[in-house]
Amino acid sequence: MSGVSNTITNQEKFDRGQIEVDFITKSFDSDAGNILALDGINLEVVPQEFITLVGRSGCGKSTLLRCIGGLISPSTGTIKISGQVVTEPHPQIGYVFQQAVLLPWRTVEENVLLPFEVKGNPTDKEKHKVSEVLEIVGLSDYANHRPGELSGGMQQRVSVSRALVTEPSILLMDEPFGALDAQTREDMNIELLRIWEVAKTTIVFVTHDIGEALFLSDRVVLMSARPGKVHDIIEVNSPRPRTFDQVENDPAFWKMRQRIREALH
Amino acid sequence: MTIEINRIDGDTEAKGSFITNFSSQKLLGQFLVLVTPFLFLLIWHLIAAGTTPLILPNPYDVFMRLVSYFINGRIWPHLFMTTQEILAGFVLGSVLGLGFGTLVSESDIARKVIMPYIIVTQALPKFALAPMLVIWFGFGMAPKVIIAALIAFFPLVENTFMGLTTTPQPQLELFRALRASRITTLLKLRIPHAVPAIFSGFRVALMLSLVGAVVAEYVGANQGLGALIIVSQGTLDTELMFVAFVILTVLGLCLDWLYGLVYKIVLVKLYGKTIDDVSSSTTRLSV
Repeated sequence: MSGVSNTITNQEKFDRGQIEVDFITKSFDSDAGNILALDGINLEVVPQEFITLVGRSGCGKSTLLRCIGGLISPSTGTIKISGQVVTEPHPQIGYVFQQAVLLPWRTVEENVLLPFEVKGNPTDKEKHKVSEVLEIVGLSDYANHRPGELSGGMQQRVSVSRALVTEPSILLMDEPFGALDAQTREDMNIELLRIWEVAKTTIVFVTHDIGEALFLSDRVVLMSARPGKVHDIIEVNSPRPRTFDQVENDPAFWKMRQRIREALH
Repeated sequence: MTIEINRIDGDTEAKGSFITNFSSQKLLGQFLVLVTPFLFLLIWHLIAAGTTPLILPNPYDVFMRLVSYFINGRIWPHLFMTTQEILAGFVLGSVLGLGFGTLVSESDIARKVIMPYIIVTQALPKFALAPMLVIWFGFGMAPKVIIAALIAFFPLVENTFMGLTTTPQPQLELFRALRASRITTLLKLRIPHAVPAIFSGFRVALMLSLVGAVVAEYVGANQGLGALIIVSQGTLDTELMFVAFVILTVLGLCLDWLYGLVYKIVLVKLYGKTIDDVSSSTTRLSV
């Protein structure tokens, strides 16, 4: 679609966007002894898929995401990004955290430029990319504002821009809209799908909101807690664009919703 | 009185009476701000009238003496010398404090090896060193600068260390996800985050440098406001001593004002227009 000058072709992105989680476990040491957070997780995410991890708090969905992102390493088992074993944060991954995590001393533009600055001196092309991404998320007018001047929704949009600016093949999102009000959250969901269609990335999205998961994803991975396991995987076959009304009221969605609810109990 | 009236007015008038109450309080505040210095001078004058100038000189006499010292120019060498010592001590102590603070926050080994010595230097009363420093370096500027620097050093080490080691976890995680090197994380995240903490260290260091320089002058100096105080003690010239007190106070205020100015400029540069939100935005992110 329009506006995005890709430095990486979509085919290349497709080749890099695959995730294989191969029977991983993750345990943490604590005062109460060894806690098994993830127990034998198997999952394959195909390139350009939108997949959500749903489960109650404490089911290890964030832990799984952090393992995929290379922020922590699994105790046993391996994770591969397009065949390459993950041992540290992968350059092809963009990460969006629960909080926007913006640096208050940088303007919106400078915050989005950060991934390039961390690698070295940003080129003109990269600077141009920043304004393009800000254009896409509708924040061009706020490029020179500081995060403190923005609303929560806008801050999270800056955070999404920062993850997108390097054109990652995989976007990992850890309950990114959890702190937003319902209306803003729906707006962000619609916007995210629009971006996903343009950017052609694989998205792994953690949420505990069933409606959000059904609206967004191709597949919903249901996780159960203590120890964290994949309980069920639900294919959302409904074609896009979907509406929130549909997700709320359509019988097909009702069935899936029911299935998820029962599994979570 | 206004408060009582408000209570009788009840809820319907609450907002209006709050405003009148507020503005009358504000007026009272302004009035007190204006009147207090005069009240202070009056009390000083009355007490002075009851004693001899040797014990407490009259404020008017002190003021005239102050003016005469400025007019005949005898104050300048002292003022200049002390200011120089304060600033040199502050800069030296700050640079060392910043350096060591960064070192101990970056390296665990450095922390274990160096920190005990820093704490020992801190426990040692630095003024006790002044006589020895006079033996080593004479009556010139050097011993005063060293004392001022030693005192300014510690708050800078402490605040730099504190600022650099309290970077919010989510921000550190972001830098890890971006595959930032250690030096990049220090330069682009931890140092900018530490700026407010380091600046409050500067403020304390500046005030302590003033104390350090003056007290070091007591021990042995030819020039400086501290030396002036010791001379006036020797000649029982209490009036001159008060002149020095007044100048030292104004000097301290000027330095603090200068600090505030620099801090404001740096903060505006860092945080832009949202200067008032600096603390709130940092706390919000650190939650």
